[in-house]
Amino acid sequence: MSFEEQTTFKERSAKEIREERPAATITPIMRKLMADSGAMLARGPGDAKARASAARDYAIGHLEELHREIEASFARQGIGYHLAATPADAQRIILGLLGDAKRVAKSKTMVGEEVELTRALRAAGIDVLETDIGEYIVDIEGRGPSHITAPALHLNRARIREMLARDAARNPSANLPDDDPVRLSRYVRDVVGAFFKDCDAGITGTNVAVASSGRLAIVENEGNVSLGVSHPRLHIAITGYEKVIADEAAALAVLEVLAPSATAQPLTSFTHFLAGPMPGQQRHVVFVDNGRRRIARDERYREVLKCIRCGACMNSCPVYRAAGGLSYGSPYMGPIGAVLSPLLWPDGRYADLPGASTLCGRCTEVCPVGIPLHRMLLDLRADGVDSGKLGSRKEKATWMAWAVAFSGATRARAVTALGRIGLRGAGRIVRPHGDRDDPRMLPEPGIAHDPGQLTSATDRRQVETFIPVDEIASDDVVELFRARATALGVRVVESLELREDDRVLKATAAIASTGSVLLTLEQAARRPLLSAARVVVTVDPATIVRFPSDIAPHLGDGDALILTGASRTADIEKRLVRGIHGAEEMIVVLPGAASE
Amino acid sequence: MASVALFDPCYMAALNPGDAANARLLLEALGDSVTLLDGRCCGQPAFNSGYTDEARKVGRELLRGAQPHRTIVIPSGSCGSMVQHYLPGLFEGERRIGAQSIANRFVPFASYVLHHPNLDRLGLKLEGVVGYHDACHGRRELGITADIVALLAHVEGLEVRRLAFEEECCGFGGTFSVKLPEVSVQMMTAKLDDVVATGAKVLVSGDYSCLAHLDAGARGVGLRLETWTLTELLARALS
Repeated sequence: MSFEEQTTFKERSAKEIREERPAATITPIMRKLMADSGAMLARGPGDAKARASAARDYAIGHLEELHREIEASFARQGIGYHLAATPADAQRIILGLLGDAKRVAKSKTMVGEEVELTRALRAAGIDVLETDIGEYIVDIEGRGPSHITAPALHLNRARIREMLARDAARNPSANLPDDDPVRLSRYVRDVVGAFFKDCDAGITGTNVAVASSGRLAIVENEGNVSLGVSHPRLHIAITGYEKVIADEAAALAVLEVLAPSATAQPLTSFTHFLAGPMPGQQRHVVFVDNGRRRIARDERYREVLKCIRCGACMNSCPVYRAAGGLSYGSPYMGPIGAVLSPLLWPDGRYADLPGASTLCGRCTEVCPVGIPLHRMLLDLRADGVDSGKLGSRKEKATWMAWAVAFSGATRARAVTALGRIGLRGAGRIVRPHGDRDDPRMLPEPGIAHDPGQLTSATDRRQVETFIPVDEIASDDVVELFRARATALGVRVVESLELREDDRVLKATAAIASTGSVLLTLEQAARRPLLSAARVVVTVDPATIVRFPSDIAPHLGDGDALILTGASRTADIEKRLVRGIHGAEEMIVVLPGAASE
Repeated sequence: MASVALFDPCYMAALNPGDAANARLLLEALGDSVTLLDGRCCGQPAFNSGYTDEARKVGRELLRGAQPHRTIVIPSGSCGSMVQHYLPGLFEGERRIGAQSIANRFVPFASYVLHHPNLDRLGLKLEGVVGYHDACHGRRELGITADIVALLAHVEGLEVRRLAFEEECCGFGGTFSVKLPEVSVQMMTAKLDDVVATGAKVLVSGDYSCLAHLDAGARGVGLRLETWTLTELLARALS
């Protein structure tokens, strides 16, 4: 970030568009993702967004209270509570907790990006490995993530292969004969897997911190978080001060919309509910304020703290698609980045980001927790002008003159007439920006239209519109569970001949709408789960509930893990690769179910 | 006979001077008596740029002009959104309540015509095919997509082709299109691709601002495409 403070969104986006044309990669991916995401949310429950929004609303209205509660709950669970006022404090606290640790496995955390954690730890001589596949790739590239849930979205597979080949020194046996996403993903998996066998601590983010129970809810697909949180000695989680939430019902309300909005998944492959540390292990949570308590007191912007970092606003944003995430020059990009960045860093370095929007309102429409993003962008523009961080004296003078012209009807009529005369004719020839990359002519007033155009239409060209086919939803939860789990690539059988190296587990409950199984206490142990060749989970049909929000009574108050299909990644061109850290094959034994 | 005011937004007076006459023609064909409300601006250009004082000053003049009228028909989705959702918020206390009560009397042109008791008298008829551009402010701020589509369905002989990605912005965004031309052109290009795919050679929208932008781009790249406002289309369907 340091050297990019000097550049503007306009400069960065113009360069990105000229050199990379982000839209060519991003637009088709996002069009499909938005269609799939809509279909996933439509599966219900119908009030999911309203409940998620209410849960976050309550949280940001009771931050101090919930933090007092979670501190007590953490003490009960044996989890360390830490509050960092500034990014520097966060770095210092984490360095203190790490002690003499030399090798640290880090998974994806946006707050980690915000406080520049990796840079700080490396400056202190610590060997930090980014273990999320996308983060691993952008770490080599060195320009930072371009999307909050898909960090390497801006890179195509050919570029990723080039980068990984450069990096192959870390893994001399690397075999990268082509740019197949499966092979590329597995190359990173192997490097990460080897690092996890010999490191001193795991650092992760946290999606939700539950005040009532003191548990941390973390979502992931690859299994690197599973490895990080089960580091035998030390797990540190870093998260925003606002990520605390009242109870499990509220946490589930958030999770119910998070994965559908983020990646069009019903739930991510792994949904952790982490309780106290394992014997011999330490667990600490570092909450970062960095201006959040200040934002919480500002009526106009406090709702931005409801954000659950799903990325739907950027997925749907046409400006993000055109400019790409790196144009924002901030760890937070897209509409949420354009709102959050100038609030977190009020020194003016991001004052121009609220201008990176046409105010089309799509972000507000898709936000699953109801943040009025485009209205905040408007308020931030006004704040920028009022505080002098935005707009030149010339621009101010222009608007003042404009206001004089348009505050009297006679003057206004004269000005519009002059504009019309000026443009008439000129519109035929003048390109307003004098730039051959900008094909637009000036508007041409009173252009004559030819009604013959109406009858000269040609046939409609078929365009791929990504209408996902939703399978028929069953009222019977057992049937629905079977169908949805099967759709995730899970084999559902009535009985099974076990193999010696199977990891056989008993589910506490299961979720029909998402095809998920819930494992609790020792059944949720991550390391044996991830090292198994095949995972076999027995589900009692009587324990199947319909929606994620219905599973609260089964969660208990200890360690819990919801599995939704096998470990996976889609970090390379959003192409799905199954079996990252953990078995590729998952089998559910469901007595009484019709086999496959 | 109803008496209505017709607001002729400033940018339309400058860029599309025939539009107010078309709108008046339609309203009069419905049997209304029409008073033109022109020489005014809702303040949106300054407001969207962060210049609220200037926006308030200009917007106040529009509200003053609108005050005597019970119904003000507004043929531009983005001005309508400014008047109804943002302009009152620029005033405090009693003034805000007063501003909101005037703002509430603004009715989008499409909704006004669609719900007019004399609509069927118009006998709208026009042979041909149009593509439909759903402007963002009409769609999301005013929620009038269904009204516009229903109104177009009243035109006998007209085939309306919706865009595959009609929820996507065309990249205009007022001063955005000038301040960030590179991004704006990328968005416009995506939109024009979507328009071309419909096969229609006329693109219709309830918002002239998007059309002016798309038209400037279509002419620039040499596309055979005309952009017509809803009012122009309906006026041509009258005869």
